[in-house]
Amino acid sequence: MIALSQYLIVAAALFSLGVIGLFLNRKNVINILMCIELMLLAVNINLVAFSHYQNDLAGQIFVFFVLTVAASEVAVGLAILVAYYRTRRSVETEDINSLQG
Amino acid sequence: MANVTFPYPFPEHLFALMPEMFVAVIAMALLLLDLFIARDKKATTAYIAIATCLTAAVLSVQAMMPEPIIAFYGFFVLDQFAVLAKVLICLGTAIGMILSINYMKDEANVGEYYVLMLFSMLGMMLMVSATNFITMYLGLELMALCIYVLVGYQRDLLRSNEAALKYFILGALSSCMLLYGVTFFYGVTGSFDFVTIGKGLATADSGAHTAIMLGLVFIIAGLGFKVSMAPFHMWTPDAYEGAPTPVTAFMSAAPKVAGFAIFIRILVDVMPAIQHEYTMILTGMAVLTMAVGNLAAIMQRNIKRMLAYSTIAHVGFVMLGLIAANDDGYAGIMVYLSIYLFMTMGAFGIIILMRRDGIHGEMLDDFAGLSRVRPGYALAMGLMLFSLAGIPFLGGFWAKYVVFMAAVEAGHLYLVLYALLFSAVGAFYYIRVVKYIYFDEEKVAFNFQESRLMQATVVVMTLAIVALGIYPDPLIDLCKHAVAGLI
Repeated sequence: MIALSQYLIVAAALFSLGVIGLFLNRKNVINILMCIELMLLAVNINLVAFSHYQNDLAGQIFVFFVLTVAASEVAVGLAILVAYYRTRRSVETEDINSLQG
Repeated sequence: MANVTFPYPFPEHLFALMPEMFVAVIAMALLLLDLFIARDKKATTAYIAIATCLTAAVLSVQAMMPEPIIAFYGFFVLDQFAVLAKVLICLGTAIGMILSINYMKDEANVGEYYVLMLFSMLGMMLMVSATNFITMYLGLELMALCIYVLVGYQRDLLRSNEAALKYFILGALSSCMLLYGVTFFYGVTGSFDFVTIGKGLATADSGAHTAIMLGLVFIIAGLGFKVSMAPFHMWTPDAYEGAPTPVTAFMSAAPKVAGFAIFIRILVDVMPAIQHEYTMILTGMAVLTMAVGNLAAIMQRNIKRMLAYSTIAHVGFVMLGLIAANDDGYAGIMVYLSIYLFMTMGAFGIIILMRRDGIHGEMLDDFAGLSRVRPGYALAMGLMLFSLAGIPFLGGFWAKYVVFMAAVEAGHLYLVLYALLFSAVGAFYYIRVVKYIYFDEEKVAFNFQESRLMQATVVVMTLAIVALGIYPDPLIDLCKHAVAGLI
């Protein structure tokens, strides 16, 4: 039997990886999208683990909403990235610097 | 088989969702209808969309009952607080659309622009009526996804694309943080319903303390991102500067109303048991927000960026109402946001009227000598800026007064003195623009984008600020009445 805390530790590790990746990433915007996806999956693990532990289905239903929204979020994000690439000809994180002050 | 009853009866009180259903249907119909509207007549789409916003506001008021209506098995509530927020949101969206007509007319596929605005309004309307984290999250994402696209609508401009990209990344991060926090509250209480969570947190055993604190911190961080509280404000200046100016005007008003409305509802319903802890966190953030907003605004030469920092500063003042955590504080927030909606959209309206060749009218220098060429515009801009600075007796003064008084009553005297200090700092950079308008020599020839509808809207907003400055009581009473039903 795997304890609840172990699921939570996995989720926390995934979430931290996502946050760290997002802020330390110096290469590519695609990586950032992957980090965001990782964080949402950590949220889903948390939800499913708590749902089982609380014996309540609402958490698992919320997972489906999160998955759906995550899909549309990435679609919008990639669309913005494509539009950005067309004008800037690069998706390097270091090149996103025209707005400053 | 004939006797089988459908297990899920038709949702009760469906009419409470009348405004949302109306907006959703019209927005989808308009998306199709727009295909049949000729390219040079795209303003028709805008007029239909504006009429939809105003009708939605009227429908919201009509659907209201003296008692809160709970619909969809407790996932949706229509109370007077939600109606007030919805009317402000619809009004803000309608004004945003009016400001857009001239600015966006040369963009490709401009019809979709108004549809996106309608959908984003729909998301905000759902959000302020949420009684459940699921409804809230869906409303929030509908709003946010549409605004990401609106910010990047000028697809051939680098700054617009870059603003959209930055806003998207930080917005998605904030949604993740919010959700992560929500999972902890769910783990402790086994529910997503605001009131049930509130009761669960009050009776939770001490072993759950860490989980509750994690949930609290992540939820406040996630919501703080959306309403641009420091230290989660980094996206605001970039998104405001890069976005098309009407979108900036829209973003600075309507989503702030929605964000603070849901913030109030969550604090009141979910977090009363941990009021001591959230007050500490919010106080720290308010101190930081006021300082960052007001000090950084002084250094800006681009007026859109300056107004972005000014938004952050105002968010800091509004937070005093959250910290006060009493009826007067929450009513003060609604008063502040209603008046702020007119001030900020009026100021952006003038900036849009000054537009030429893409970006003219966005730098401080572009305003030099405006009073000699267009005394009317200069007067309107001057009044808006004085009101933003909180000079008595204009609307902005009462906005600050109500919130500050509520905070003093709740015993946060030092915080209010700190806020007063920073409103004095804030007055400097607003009045600097007035100096450019009235005392400097014209540097570049003016050439205005005239539009009768936009001029009329700016005049109405200016009059509203002056009228509210002279006689703010009806608005204050209205907000107090709306908030009384909440608690």
